[in-house]
Amino acid sequence: MTTVTEQPVKTLERGYVGQSIPRREDKRLVQGLGTFFDDVRRHGMGYVHFVRSPYAHARIVSIDVSKALELEGVYGTITGDEVAIHTDPFFEMSVEPGGNISDYALAVGRVRHMGEPVAAVCAATRELARDAADLIEVEYDALPVLVDAEESLKDEIVLHDDAGSNVVWSGVFDWGDVDGALAEADHVVKIDRLHFHRFSSTPLECAGALVEYDKGTGEWTLHCNHQMPGVGAIWMAPALRTGIDKLRFVTQDIGGGFGNKICLHPQYVVLCLMARKLGRPVQWTEWRTDQHTANAHGNERTFLDVEVAVKADGTMTGFKVKALDDCGAFPRYEPLGCIIWAQVTPGLYGWQNIRVDFTQVCTNKSPVSPNRGYSRMQHLWLTERIIDIVAAELGFDPVEIRKKNYVKANQMPYETPNGCVYDSGDYAAALDIALELIDYGSIEERRKEAASRRKLLGFGIGSTLDSGTNNFGQSTLLNPDLQFSGNNEAASVKLDIFGEVVVTLGTVPQGQGHETTAAQVVADILGCSPEQVNVRRGHDTWFNSHAGFSGTYASQFAFTGLGAVKGAAELVREDMVQLAAAVLQAPVEAIELADGFARIKDGPEEAALPFMALGAIVNANNAFLPPEFNPTLNHRYVCRPYFGMVDKEKKTGQLTLTYATQIHAAVVEIDPETGEVEIVDYAAVDDCGVRINPQIVEGQVHGATAHAIGAALSEEFVYDEDGTLLTANFYDYHVPHAMDMPPLKTGAMESPSPVAPLGAKGMGEGGGGGIHCIGAAIQDALRAAGGAIVYDSCNPPHRVWSMLQDPEATRANVSVVSK
Amino acid sequence: MLLREVDYARPSTVEEAIALLAAYEGARALAGGQTIVNVMKARAAAPDVLVDLADLDELRAIGFSSDGLLEIGAMVTYSQLISSSEVEVARPILAEVAATIGDVQVRNRGTVGGNVCVSDPTNHLPPLLAALDATFTIRGPESERTVRADEFFVGVYMTAVGEGELLTKISVPPPSGAGDGFAGVTIGKHGTFIVDGAATVSDESVRIALGCVAATPVRATEMEQRLAGGDFSEEAVRASAEGLGASLDPPSDVHGSAEYRRHLAEVSAVRAVLQATGRRKGP
Amino acid sequence: MAAPASSYAITVEINGESVELEVPARRLLVHFIRDDLGLTGTHIGCDTGNCGACTVHLDGEPVKSCMLLAVQADGAKIATVEGLATDGELTSLQQAFNQHHALQCGYCTPGMLMSASALLERNPRPTEDEVRYALQGNICRCTGYVNIVEDVVAAGGGRA
Repeated sequence: MTTVTEQPVKTLERGYVGQSIPRREDKRLVQGLGTFFDDVRRHGMGYVHFVRSPYAHARIVSIDVSKALELEGVYGTITGDEVAIHTDPFFEMSVEPGGNISDYALAVGRVRHMGEPVAAVCAATRELARDAADLIEVEYDALPVLVDAEESLKDEIVLHDDAGSNVVWSGVFDWGDVDGALAEADHVVKIDRLHFHRFSSTPLECAGALVEYDKGTGEWTLHCNHQMPGVGAIWMAPALRTGIDKLRFVTQDIGGGFGNKICLHPQYVVLCLMARKLGRPVQWTEWRTDQHTANAHGNERTFLDVEVAVKADGTMTGFKVKALDDCGAFPRYEPLGCIIWAQVTPGLYGWQNIRVDFTQVCTNKSPVSPNRGYSRMQHLWLTERIIDIVAAELGFDPVEIRKKNYVKANQMPYETPNGCVYDSGDYAAALDIALELIDYGSIEERRKEAASRRKLLGFGIGSTLDSGTNNFGQSTLLNPDLQFSGNNEAASVKLDIFGEVVVTLGTVPQGQGHETTAAQVVADILGCSPEQVNVRRGHDTWFNSHAGFSGTYASQFAFTGLGAVKGAAELVREDMVQLAAAVLQAPVEAIELADGFARIKDGPEEAALPFMALGAIVNANNAFLPPEFNPTLNHRYVCRPYFGMVDKEKKTGQLTLTYATQIHAAVVEIDPETGEVEIVDYAAVDDCGVRINPQIVEGQVHGATAHAIGAALSEEFVYDEDGTLLTANFYDYHVPHAMDMPPLKTGAMESPSPVAPLGAKGMGEGGGGGIHCIGAAIQDALRAAGGAIVYDSCNPPHRVWSMLQDPEATRANVSVVSK
Repeated sequence: MLLREVDYARPSTVEEAIALLAAYEGARALAGGQTIVNVMKARAAAPDVLVDLADLDELRAIGFSSDGLLEIGAMVTYSQLISSSEVEVARPILAEVAATIGDVQVRNRGTVGGNVCVSDPTNHLPPLLAALDATFTIRGPESERTVRADEFFVGVYMTAVGEGELLTKISVPPPSGAGDGFAGVTIGKHGTFIVDGAATVSDESVRIALGCVAATPVRATEMEQRLAGGDFSEEAVRASAEGLGASLDPPSDVHGSAEYRRHLAEVSAVRAVLQATGRRKGP
Repeated sequence: MAAPASSYAITVEINGESVELEVPARRLLVHFIRDDLGLTGTHIGCDTGNCGACTVHLDGEPVKSCMLLAVQADGAKIATVEGLATDGELTSLQQAFNQHHALQCGYCTPGMLMSASALLERNPRPTEDEVRYALQGNICRCTGYVNIVEDVVAAGGGRA
């Protein structure tokens, strides 16, 4: 039983917080004056091109760079052999066997996925680097290829000799008594196999960096777009045999991250080595094809042998499942995915008895790394598939069965079987809003009308949670020896010499509007307007306050990022009030901060000090202050959310602090002759507690919905049996364009979080609601044409057509045993 | 992503262009560049010389021949086709289909000549022009000849245009009361075709051509023959398509199996014919 | 008639200013704009001409600058996003984008603005469908296009 520590919530009086203030970031961005890393130039810089493996699995026999080095304008090369001499392998998160993997910045002796970097060349221009790469001769000895996780389990072909097995990690999570629940159940619904596919958010700006090395100090500066520099440094510094402080990460504007810019350390280490070796700044910009083949795919997970215990009245008491996670060629960040889903173990439902038998394996595919919705999305898809398949098999209404099984509003805060606490939310109410937006009452009528046009209409719901503000202690469930727990974020606020308010963030925004929302919070606390608050762009590990977990990821900015801003601003406020009281010779309680002044409440007009006066006193004119009074007007604050410790035995604990709700509903029409699916109506309801800037929140909802729609209908990373990625560009990997998007209706609720500093929950990831509701809608539509069960999270026309041709093949997947 | 070294020339007349193409073995014509630049970026092909046809105004004309053929210069862009009043009056299906190629930026540069000379099985115009019974005029250093679609499209990325030759115009016969139709399934809205079909239906004849199912457009000759009776009811059209899929040997790829493409071929053919039927104009 | 050459001195008018520079024939227009002219507002998001982040105006028409060689632009007028605002005074479209949150990371934004401004010049009061059609060649991964489309329709005086 977890003890919930509620932080006293001083809800801000809503001033600027809660308003949809236009973003200040926009002014530079709409003029094309943003600074993305590829816009940064350095005198004498060289451009880097990576030579990549054309094989999914092969031994490297030899690499000959001599012809490349002869090309005029080429500055130098680097190969895996050099990397193995000058660096140590990256730290591995998992226990054995995965923990024994040797992962270097370039392939050493062997390549394990198509596109894996094997060598790098640096030249005076981009074109020359590309030409030189063609002159590097690599000889390979092809090895048998593994592209299937279930095959990989057999360990007949082993990818990492140091590990001796393809299994990265496996463990059983067992809460309550699922065997008892299954024995007592009136119905047991069995689902043999469900598959969550590979895709990713494909941010429009690719990864990259411009790296400089200072020979005098041994320090590197990386102008880059890494979205979690703290973790990047933890990987890179030991590998480079240097201190963390020798790596300075500077990010400015970033063209989208979505998690796909977390595992950039291998390429960055190569750049660091080259900058040092060649004595000049080196720059690398990832190509789109390389991002698809060799950067970061989202989790691919197969769910096997699902069994669900259901009572006669539709109450679901438990389920068990075997989950098989395919993390591609190198696990890196990915072992955390083996645990992170447990933040939302029961989804939105009141199941008490759950067993998950989880295994993660390597294959010859691109490495997996966090992708919007990271690991929770896959698990939530499972729970939603379970609800809809159980409903279909046993004849329950999908809305009613959800309302029956949802955690109720009056149960909040609600503790899940594994000790997580859902802080607030009213799922049934959010569902009602979605149903109203979609005009649920007219569905049957619309179904008939569509049928008259020979279309199959279907309706589906997707209910998800965006769990935010991680307890990194959950990593000890993966590996008890890891020294991580809790969470933190830092920010600093100061009043400058002329009274300008300056804020630096520990976060690394990639479009979430942090500069604007931070200014709103500070403005409310200091009693000025957001325009008077200057928030420095981006993140610089030398100049910005930051802490170990700093970055922008995992839906936590509204809690930890703004919590740090709030904390720092409140400390500055305290200084200002005390200082004004001393100067105006009034009691502290009589001082208020408003309209850009510190003044006596209801006092005479002259009894007011502009911020400039306060700044000037402290910075330039402080002799008259008594010795014991030393206001600095410059404070750093670390927001450290409270968690309990995690219980490694029972695998329980408070894994995340906030839970934003997403209820999505879709109406689709299927053309039965072609399998094409069109979304004709769509509603997304979001409840993230207090909305600091409602317009920004809504923008995130739109974007997350677009990602989910793309994933549900067309975005799929597909491999052939040779390990070739068949969808390596935007022709074949189709993402939604403006004409692909359906009319979107959005609704919002605010169930303030009792644990977050501003009552605001992180919500940037969403939960993949679109994937769930579109799959459910497809299944509903197909009831009139064979009743196929949707078993895959991606349903492009050819798959839908197959379900129409042979529904029995999918139905054979499901069976019911009733008392 | 980045091209190999290449030489570039921009001739001012068609004769100069042909001379350049004949003089340099590795020379390729550069029309809109919406395909060839991609190919060169990927280094899948690397011509030694690019002969830019941009200044050849002769190839940008749209007009009518003396015997009523709609003549479209090879360098006419999709955007020009879409806004051409001649096309609208004579054969609007060309504009309709061109309006679904890619996006505005691509349509402002991409050309009809490029679309057919690339001869990518998934391109929009080859099956359409095959159904319309278009002819293709090819000029060489010494002579000029005109061929039909079945002779023009030779294979994947291969046409009857030889080294040192240039496609100068495409000629489309007047409809004479025929209706035109076009249908298919794409990867996303206005994306690449998975299968497509084009049809021209008049009281006298039916021409149906399928794309994406073979190296070059395939005429559905049996289906055409079954429809020769003149019964274009939905039932009859569907019946005429039976066996069409089985007669094809389409590729399997990530967007669809061969079996799916066979099925889509029948569906596309039927839809194209029904659309064309509905657009016939009486005498 | 000159023989084919591997580099050329080209003259382009860019955002109203004339520039003359020698470029290799193989240089893409987008790299000429970004690297040779230092105008980094035009972005690169893909390898295959799909994403539209590189959209500029060539003689008044929106084109993808990654699908053109710089030499092809010899003698042409090019307009990039940097040329939209005058002395920091944003156009009404740029203002609309800001007022109604039509950008998040801002990477696709220059391309969007170039495509949208070209549309509004041709068609001052586009419908929502016409806007979507005009922006079909510009990929955004952040916004779902919702606010972008609304803003372009609103900038034309219409209502989404």
